[in-house]
Amino acid sequence: MNKKITTQSIIAFARNNLIILGIFILAIITSFVEPNFLTVGNLQNIMRQFGPLIMLSLGMTFIIMGGFIDLSVGGIISLVAVVTVSLIDPIGQVAALMVGVVIGLICGLLNSFLIIKGGAFKQSEALFLTYGMSVVFTAVALIYTAAAPVFLTYSKTDYSIFTAIGERFVGPVSVSFIIFLVCLLILYIIESRTHIGRSICLTGGNMTAARLAGIPTEKTIVFIYAVSGIMAAIGAVVLASRVTIASPIMGKGYETQAILAVVVGGTALLGGKGSVLRTVIGTLLIIMMSNCLNLLGVTTYIQYMLRGAILILAIWLDNRKQYSEGN
Amino acid sequence: MNTKITEPIKNIFSAQKAPIAMLLIFITMLFFKTPFYTRYNLIDLINSNSTLLIVAMGFTVVLVAGGVDLSVGGVMTVSGIIAIKLINSGVSIPVAVLVSILFGAAIGAINGYLTVYQNTEPFIITLGMGVLLTGVAQELTTARPISGENPAFQNLANYKLFGVVPALVLVMIVTVIVVVWLLRSTSFGRNCYAIGGDYEVAKYSGINVLPTKTLTFVISGVTAAIAGVMLSSWVNSGNSTYGDQTALYIASAVVVGGTSFAGGIGGAFKSLLGVMFIGILSNAFNMLNIDSYIQQLLVGLFIVGIIWLDCYARKVKRETV
Repeated sequence: MNKKITTQSIIAFARNNLIILGIFILAIITSFVEPNFLTVGNLQNIMRQFGPLIMLSLGMTFIIMGGFIDLSVGGIISLVAVVTVSLIDPIGQVAALMVGVVIGLICGLLNSFLIIKGGAFKQSEALFLTYGMSVVFTAVALIYTAAAPVFLTYSKTDYSIFTAIGERFVGPVSVSFIIFLVCLLILYIIESRTHIGRSICLTGGNMTAARLAGIPTEKTIVFIYAVSGIMAAIGAVVLASRVTIASPIMGKGYETQAILAVVVGGTALLGGKGSVLRTVIGTLLIIMMSNCLNLLGVTTYIQYMLRGAILILAIWLDNRKQYSEGN
Repeated sequence: MNTKITEPIKNIFSAQKAPIAMLLIFITMLFFKTPFYTRYNLIDLINSNSTLLIVAMGFTVVLVAGGVDLSVGGVMTVSGIIAIKLINSGVSIPVAVLVSILFGAAIGAINGYLTVYQNTEPFIITLGMGVLLTGVAQELTTARPISGENPAFQNLANYKLFGVVPALVLVMIVTVIVVVWLLRSTSFGRNCYAIGGDYEVAKYSGINVLPTKTLTFVISGVTAAIAGVMLSSWVNSGNSTYGDQTALYIASAVVVGGTSFAGGIGGAFKSLLGVMFIGILSNAFNMLNIDSYIQQLLVGLFIVGIIWLDCYARKVKRETV
């Protein structure tokens, strides 16, 4: 009897964590087939790729927990990257970084302003508005650079901070990883220890009920979009410093990857629950998956396909889980 | 007294945004010396918007029934590539076209099954499907444009009836008529409006909600596939980037026309006006020699503005009720 329950619970666990298990199995297979997988060089490579995506995903977690969605992060990355890199020569690197983060913040505030004033409180409405804003941000980036990429390496003045973010290691960990840890700590404290974190969950759970219960829902929306904008800006800086180039279309596709990382981590797309810690696992799995597939020689096109398939699968499974819990 | 005069004018402006805006563009273009008012440009205007119009028809059906299909760009791209590839490998044209359209129907059925029967959010599922299909398109073409080798395939879209009307336009007109008929004069169309208006009420009124709503996704897949085949035939090539912005573009055009995201409101003819309006707008921009990135910015701002207005109108309605 006891044994039967355990097998059942194992099956239930496997069913609830199908994607996570799948990626682990992939990693195990890869480590057998391709001995390069478990080398220090490859693990550092994974850590470096982790940088830009995790920043976006952390911001996206708050958005999705609040019951919204933000497709404009791709556009924000492009815009912040080109502006920041191009400003190193005229105003110096510290000021350029600050301008970059402020632009991210402004973009996020603009999104929340449109959503609140337009009453676009459904996830689908927010999706279309931010999708449109992504086109606008990308177009601004294209106009700003006349569609040409901006090179960090051509910078005439000092860009030591950028080099540090992109390449330096403090002991075994990269600088971008330390930035990530700091961001994670701050966001985790906000999520678990402050009333803002509660407000986000309640807004995502049931916005009308939250508002009637006295939760400042509109302020919460402004907050989550501002955080998403800032995190996208930080992600843009990390990305630009790693590839030493800022192109006005470099952010394309990052928004679906960020949503994928959040959903695979186990944050419900419907809002109301989730955690930045789950997103860290989700992002790690996504990066590890693409790393494994690269080592196994799978083309980027098929990887793109898999990303779409996993996104559909993750949402479908999550939906089924909630449906069966509801009954 | 004052309100009596302004009320009808206000109604005209809120209900007939697209035709009035179109009229404004036509009047504005009279003041500029451009090739806008030439027979060539006006036919090209309709021709180049035909594929989008075909996609918009299926999109409208889904929207009216309260769903949304963001995978139309992906379906369009992949079915076009399938048609080109099959024809290049020697399959006869009708068979290749049929396979492409069946592919669109199958994707629509999968979308429908996942969103309607499994009760998931349509916009995120179809967004994922769009990403998946873009990957398929890139894999099929290795992310390079492929061109057709059979010249007969080009005639499918480029054959000119009486030497004037391109076949592409005829296909578009037939699709529009069929969809207008479906939504206006069949019980299926009535049911779509009922489901989009209130899903629960429709269900308890005895409408077969599940198959009906799934069928809307299949229709959307089919129209997107037809558009894809016609696009491939028109430019005689297939490219994985054709459908990148289609879903957003169509969505905003359809909303401009007066079909709402809330479901239950709108119509195929309205969507036609919406798509033509954005088409004429960008044509006018081109004629006025506006820089393409500034055009992209203007179109983006315009899309955000239109979708925002649609949300805002619903917000006002919610607050007044």
